[in-house]
Amino acid sequence: MATREGRSTDATAGSDPAAGEDGADRVADTPDSGDRRRDRRSAEASESGPGGAGAAVPAVAVSGLSKRFGSGPDAVTAVDDVSVEIEAGSIVGLLGPNGAGKTTLIKSILGMVLPDEGSVRLHGIDVREDSRAAYARVDAMLEGARNDYWRLTVRENLRYFAAIGGVDPDSVAERHDRLLDRFGLDSKVDTAVRNLSRGMKQKVSIASVLAGDADVVFLDEPTLGLDVESSRTLRAELRRIAEERGLTVVVSSHDMDVVEAVCDRVLIMSGGRIVADDAVEALLAGDDRHRLRVVARGIDPGLVADLRREFDGVAVDTEAGRTRLRVAVDTDDLYALVARLREHDVTIDRLDTVEPDLEDVFVDLTRGTGGHSR
Amino acid sequence: MSREPRRGSDGPSPAGHYRLARAVLYREAVLFVRYPANAIGGVVIAVFFFGVLFYGGRMVAGQALTDSIEGIIVGYFLWTLSVGAYSAISNDIGSEVQWGTLERHVMTPFGFAPVALLKGLAKVIRTFLTSGVVLGVMLAVTGTALELNVLTIVLVSGLSITSVLGLGFAAGGITLLYKRIGNWLNLLQFGFVVLVSAPSLDVPWLRVLPLAHGSGLLQRAMVNGTRIWEFPVADLALLVVVAVGYLGAGYLVFQYATRRARRLGVLGDY
Repeated sequence: MATREGRSTDATAGSDPAAGEDGADRVADTPDSGDRRRDRRSAEASESGPGGAGAAVPAVAVSGLSKRFGSGPDAVTAVDDVSVEIEAGSIVGLLGPNGAGKTTLIKSILGMVLPDEGSVRLHGIDVREDSRAAYARVDAMLEGARNDYWRLTVRENLRYFAAIGGVDPDSVAERHDRLLDRFGLDSKVDTAVRNLSRGMKQKVSIASVLAGDADVVFLDEPTLGLDVESSRTLRAELRRIAEERGLTVVVSSHDMDVVEAVCDRVLIMSGGRIVADDAVEALLAGDDRHRLRVVARGIDPGLVADLRREFDGVAVDTEAGRTRLRVAVDTDDLYALVARLREHDVTIDRLDTVEPDLEDVFVDLTRGTGGHSR
Repeated sequence: MSREPRRGSDGPSPAGHYRLARAVLYREAVLFVRYPANAIGGVVIAVFFFGVLFYGGRMVAGQALTDSIEGIIVGYFLWTLSVGAYSAISNDIGSEVQWGTLERHVMTPFGFAPVALLKGLAKVIRTFLTSGVVLGVMLAVTGTALELNVLTIVLVSGLSITSVLGLGFAAGGITLLYKRIGNWLNLLQFGFVVLVSAPSLDVPWLRVLPLAHGSGLLQRAMVNGTRIWEFPVADLALLVVVAVGYLGAGYLVFQYATRRARRLGVLGDY
């Protein structure tokens, strides 16, 4: 069984990549390695970590992390006493409105931002105390697609960043071929990234993050700029690659469909705090109210503002004079809503009940607490 | 379990510093060959300014300039090396910030210092190539002959511009904190003219400044034919101390700036 024992708590091994003798034991993403994620989870669960013998070492462990920017009355608390653990091999979505603290949290985990308080451990390695060992296991695509060299070819980027990440590029050449094949870049391997479409550049960025041997990967808006088909392909491949290689992936995105399709678990941030942390199914099951979808004409912005004040989970989308309204209601709310619309002479074209989705949960949880809900 | 690198069998094996150096130098070589316009442009501009200096100076100063042409060529060669190394390292850091690649170099298991130094070395090698061309053109245009002992020239000028690399790191670090300051810091390269031509023989304390002492030794090597082993040990030691001192100080400034940028949350922001 291919495992990585000795890696997670052996900080000295990572302090010098040349001395990373365990590297040859890393899990390869061979097509038949679908069960290895479970194997590795159980192997890591049996390791002795900071939690003691037999305790599973989380891939990411954040404890009491806080970060404020500025001072005095203008100070902004970007991350407020966040503690969270992410199990090795899981795919976790990080959601939140703009300004919720997602990027600061990710950058703090990666050591790109120094937190005021708290600690971060990656596979038991303290990022601040032994950053080199921690960095042998983590890579990230931050804030869009621009994290590689556009004047190098696709393959050159993958080889370069594999080497920078502490992996001999020759040893992962076949992995690179498969990765590029899966992302539909196999015909572009020798093309300079600058000559690719935006969607392809995005894929190269993700591929370069997966090119080395990092097993904790942070992806910020991985499907930004992709068309529907590319986004769907990317989601499927991301999930597949993560499972095959036993990667721990944290996906920060505004695209609820991506998070719902790819992630095992969702963290929702608002106002610098984590306001929800659960499996996607559990979050959806926990919302037992009905959702009404109303398509109507004659809903003006003033009425929308009133509805937002009076009802929960209001999401509005206006197109060609018709407004699509989603509202979370119980029975009393339903009567009140219809009465309110009638009072304003709104013509209802269509009215349905719909199953709540992640967006509804997100809107409910983040409404009025930082950033702006939709 | 086998710990041998599983080359070709798709098992990731660790890369040592040799692999890292290969990757960094290869990238630099690829960009140099694939996009020669930057390098050619730099050579053309350097030669053009030398032409203005040489022909314009001859019109104004006549024989006086011709008599001192050897010193001017050596000084100009060192200046082009210095400007190349300084702007390459400071602009490179600024560019990495814009490209979003800086974080990935900070987040390397090798640590940022070796990666940054290797990138600096790559820039220095590239600068030697372009400045070598400029030197050849200057010698051809002026019909001047200099002692071209390659080992001595590379060692002395290499150590001289190592101090400038330190200034480049410091400037790059300041650019991390104050993004728009990069263009202003480029003006510092004109100060290198003063350092290259500093009268370090007459004013000994000037030798502790970057370039000044190295410039004097390079003049002796290229004009008088002094070989590296013929220099007094004290002179060579001072050259090394100045090089290491400024490189170390520059890197400390860079590290401080990086740490402050992380504290302020502006590392990589552009």
